[in-house]
Amino acid sequence: MTSVDSDWPALLKDNSRTGGQQAAAARAPSRARWQVRLGSAVRSSPVLRDGILYVTAVSGTLHAIDSQSGRTKWKFQASGLVHSTPSICGDKVLFGCDDGRIYAVSCESGARSWEAVSQGEVWTSPVARDGIVYFGSADARLYAINANTGTAQWKQEVGGRIYSTPFVTDKGIVFGCGDANVYSVDPSSGKILWRTATGNGIDSSPAVTADTVVIGSEDFWVYALDANTGAVRWKYETGLGIASSPAISGELAIIGSKDGYVYALETATGRLRWKAQAGDVVTAPPVIANGIVCIQAGGTFAFETNSGKLAWRAGLGGAVQSVPVLTDKVIYLTSLDGEVYALE
Amino acid sequence: MDRRTFVKSSLGAAGLLVTGLDPFARGDISLPQPPRVQVRSRPQEKASPLGMPGLFPGRVVEVHDPEAVIGNRVSQPVVRNMLEQGMKELTGERTVADAWAKFIEPADIVGIKINPSGAPACCSSPEIVREIIAALQLLRVPASNIIVYDRYAYEIDVGSYQVLLPPGVQILGIQDGFSDVSGYDPNIFCEASFFGEWETRSYMASVVANKVTKIINVPTLKDHSASGVTGCLKNLGYGTFNNVARSHRSPFSFTNPLIGIMCSVEPLRSKAVLHIMDGMRQVWHGGPLTQAQDFILQTGTLYLGTDPVAIDTIELETIEKTRREKGAPSVWERNPESITQNSHEFYHNAQKNLFYRQPAHIAAAGTLGLGISDLKQIDHRRIA
Repeated sequence: MTSVDSDWPALLKDNSRTGGQQAAAARAPSRARWQVRLGSAVRSSPVLRDGILYVTAVSGTLHAIDSQSGRTKWKFQASGLVHSTPSICGDKVLFGCDDGRIYAVSCESGARSWEAVSQGEVWTSPVARDGIVYFGSADARLYAINANTGTAQWKQEVGGRIYSTPFVTDKGIVFGCGDANVYSVDPSSGKILWRTATGNGIDSSPAVTADTVVIGSEDFWVYALDANTGAVRWKYETGLGIASSPAISGELAIIGSKDGYVYALETATGRLRWKAQAGDVVTAPPVIANGIVCIQAGGTFAFETNSGKLAWRAGLGGAVQSVPVLTDKVIYLTSLDGEVYALE
Repeated sequence: MDRRTFVKSSLGAAGLLVTGLDPFARGDISLPQPPRVQVRSRPQEKASPLGMPGLFPGRVVEVHDPEAVIGNRVSQPVVRNMLEQGMKELTGERTVADAWAKFIEPADIVGIKINPSGAPACCSSPEIVREIIAALQLLRVPASNIIVYDRYAYEIDVGSYQVLLPPGVQILGIQDGFSDVSGYDPNIFCEASFFGEWETRSYMASVVANKVTKIINVPTLKDHSASGVTGCLKNLGYGTFNNVARSHRSPFSFTNPLIGIMCSVEPLRSKAVLHIMDGMRQVWHGGPLTQAQDFILQTGTLYLGTDPVAIDTIELETIEKTRREKGAPSVWERNPESITQNSHEFYHNAQKNLFYRQPAHIAAAGTLGLGISDLKQIDHRRIA
């Protein structure tokens, strides 16, 4: 999947999970363009395509919102609670549901295109590549389905719940698992290529760059693994468990920890470049804009990428897991209490 | 039953609670009397013999292992061993399976009431919850009939319980925001006006009222700014009913008598058959939400029993001892100079508190028949 201009079609902008580093925004917001109340908590992140913001709410709704006006274009109701961040695949919006399904909904009309079924909640964000959609489920399986029809291609059982959104490359689909392992499976067959054990379950979603997988574990450590073999290249210990996911910008991998800090580690060596406090607990992934790292932790914090110095802070968007969408002029945020903000 | 027809026995008990149950209070302020709390239990609910105080009134088994928490990480194998020892000591059974079978049958739908409110610094350890789940599965309780729950879904998220617990087990946050009442039973409630609030009722969670058949309570060992400590009783009462924050408004707290009254409401009282207090960590100041490691000890202890009052009495003694050692005032203190409305000051200064704490809620629960609060009558067994 490729994105253009200010599009932000998947978790952490796109499948490269770079966190939107091409965006030119990330200055301190000065006013709200609009604010919408969805009537239900939001525990996912918004995505953006062609001027439409797509937001899922816990009550099971997918909202298509005009990014200019804040007006709702359409609303789709799923049959269970929704915690999954949507992703955009062609002309469809995909998202998982606590009823075990993945829904594919037309971007244009909001009509259901297809659905696929697993046996557990789906909190991960579906990832599309080359006509196949991959998603993990709390039923301890990773699924591959046809992006056009929702037809099952294969499924691979692992040892624990999957809440880690997979990172898909030609060589392997990498994800963390509740059984404490990081897995890589073959994209065409689902066969397990390698697994690497950590010390506790994994909530974090990996990022892959230059054949290096970066991921956090509830065992307090950030791991860098060889993407081809799973061998540990380095690991770095934080003060508590890690549910945040890394964003990678050039030579830095940036990730939050439940100890309240954001860590900037050199991707090649694991050496700490800086760490900065962002509230008491950090579970959300950071995003990286031009020289700025943005993260939600009871408020929105922006740190200078090179130094970790606090650039600005906004008291909006208190969602514990949400990732803001950064565009040239506007920051889109969702909050735990069900608000969607467009901040200029 | 008409909504104005309440359970008279609880009404009477609530009336008793308001006087004479704060024998250790010290200081120089007179606190306001709490209002009467009216209770509507489930009609014709028959009390279970397994319900609080349960099979072993007054018995508390304390299991300690210095290897249980190392570097702020809880050891799964050590916890497994501690839990097995504690269950056998509590029940007198020779095998772990027989010990658990005293409380749980394969057909039960088992609720595990966790306390994630201090996550990640101090919450019910996923390692302990995993061991409880393993024990239930040993008894052939299907994973789908095990529900790990608490009131706030986002607090469960912060604890990452979803990813850390076995597949198939249900994980339930009863509500997602402060105003979400969809997870509560409108027919079972406690009603009182404490500070003139517009909503004077607190409703029982539907999962407790209508779904689970047994509850295993897994509180943490924490100081609490309003109730003195939060242990078995508060985790169960305030984690089952909604709209409870209204019972304390700085500097006053009516957690006594509300906590005990809530725990006495059927079917909660009958369904809560076992309490396993997670003392892997001890929060001696700043509870229930502090993340300040300065006030958290890594104590590596479990407390097991069927009597929540007895366990909480031991917990209270434990926290009082630590506070004395640290030079912090007693949780019974009534000195106006210790009160602050600045939460930042409270979180960083053990001399300060937001409320006049109400640790007498434990003894008050005892007067409702929920257990034994007299230390001399508590059968406190230590395993180390």
